[in-house]
Amino acid sequence: MGIENILQNIELFNGLLEGELNQFAAICQERALSEGEVIAVQDETGSELFIITKGLVEILVNDKQEPYHNRVVANLGTGQIIGEMGLVDQGLRSTTIRSIAQPTVVQVIHYSDFLTLCEKYTHIGYIIMRNLAADISFKLRRTNIVSG
Amino acid sequence: MTVYKVSYVEIGVKHPGAIVNSSKRPEVSERVQLGSEVFKITEVFDLYPPRGNFYYIHASCKPFSSEDKVEEK
Repeated sequence: MGIENILQNIELFNGLLEGELNQFAAICQERALSEGEVIAVQDETGSELFIITKGLVEILVNDKQEPYHNRVVANLGTGQIIGEMGLVDQGLRSTTIRSIAQPTVVQVIHYSDFLTLCEKYTHIGYIIMRNLAADISFKLRRTNIVSG
Repeated sequence: MTVYKVSYVEIGVKHPGAIVNSSKRPEVSERVQLGSEVFKITEVFDLYPPRGNFYYIHASCKPFSSEDKVEEK
């Protein structure tokens, strides 16, 4: 299956026209992860957005009650995006991300390439930012259910 | 193609749950494998209305037990 077909089923790209989707496909770099591989570390700087196209990763946060201990807060599988908060707020990584299945495959997009595309083509930028907001909203609603 | 973005939340166990895209809407009583563990779905509802081909679903789960296996037969 081509990368364009894969991206079609990712919410982040929902509403993009075929030609617009191809522009994102051109800036994606596929990366296969081994089980246990860490692709982002909490409180470190990040410059990449990840899209999971196969497998599963776990999301870890430092446990305030037990320093140096990480707590798993969720697992993310096919179709999910990681690193969207850093893209929006330019802050440090909010969580650590580790692959827990093999094969796990991600598409990597550098923030600079991503933002250049969104700024150059405002229709793309509008659609993507709306979808990013929806993804963050989904995760927030989930957190409300889990903690409620 | 319809895509169901599903938030699985495990009830009563220390499991973090998962968010996964699926081509099929989850149903109550179905089994789902999350990582190495198997769960039984106990509740399903839409988190908010669909947009385009994407549906946003919550599914509560509990660990799949030996009683569940008997029920399935």
